[in-house]
Amino acid sequence: MSGELLAFFILSLIAIAGGVMMLNLTKVVHMVIALVFTFLAIAGLYVLLSAEFVAVVQVLIYSGAITIIMLFGIMLTRHDDRTEAKTGKGRQWLVLASVIAFFAIMFYGIRNLSLGEQATTLHVKNTEQIGMLLYSKFVIPFELVSIVLLVALVGAIILAKRDDKEKEGESQ
Amino acid sequence: MQDLYNVYQNSYLFVFVFLLLGILLPIVALTAGKLLRPNKPTPAKQTTYESGIEPFHQSWVQFNVRYYMFGLLFVIFDVETVFLYPWAVAYDKLGIFALIEMLIFMIMLVIGLIYAWKKKVLTWI
Repeated sequence: MSGELLAFFILSLIAIAGGVMMLNLTKVVHMVIALVFTFLAIAGLYVLLSAEFVAVVQVLIYSGAITIIMLFGIMLTRHDDRTEAKTGKGRQWLVLASVIAFFAIMFYGIRNLSLGEQATTLHVKNTEQIGMLLYSKFVIPFELVSIVLLVALVGAIILAKRDDKEKEGESQ
Repeated sequence: MQDLYNVYQNSYLFVFVFLLLGILLPIVALTAGKLLRPNKPTPAKQTTYESGIEPFHQSWVQFNVRYYMFGLLFVIFDVETVFLYPWAVAYDKLGIFALIEMLIFMIMLVIGLIYAWKKKVLTWI
């Protein structure tokens, strides 16, 4: 049990440190690397929660694909840009107050939260359990996901290809 | 059940050991190399190797928007692959209905791929 606790502490420390570094670093590419550390630490936390499949998906999608998309997005824009000058003192205090208020509300909200009985067999054939449920009980959401992906694909193409068409229009 | 849980957790010790080895190997190799090699830097040695040409500009250049299109397509088909994996693992227990479900899913994404093809996203100029 103590090994699990130790792993949890280290992983959550990496996750929080990655998040804080992402906010405090000045170069955008360094921020993405800090974000990758957060993603990987969260994947480790999923492993601790017996959610192996979700952990692998986290590594594949978030620290793989999403990071690549972010890097491409950065490289397309002003990639050597630095963080703008700091905002005023009053606004900082306002942000601090809202952070504390958010924490208080969340703490009050989840303090007495009961998640029901804990599942104990999650680690047994994790992926197969997910597959069984996803393709029998949750078929409709799954098929909706395919439509969401299709819409995302078409929308991305329309957004990114518009530039070329305008150029063609100019040349005509 | 508690036994199995311990087995599950302990098998991640191997993953941890591999992770540690993967981190330590380059650190040890580079540190040992730094200690062993002679250090006589000259300006000519310190320039970036550029196949004999004098290096110019920065290495961080603005990408063509075409790369972004390929990145977006990669993300979408990556998500699709993730859905294929539990389907393949549980396929034996699901039967023919799961095959039809997956066919509908694939057809939806093939429509997207055909759309991208027709819009000439996949061509390289």
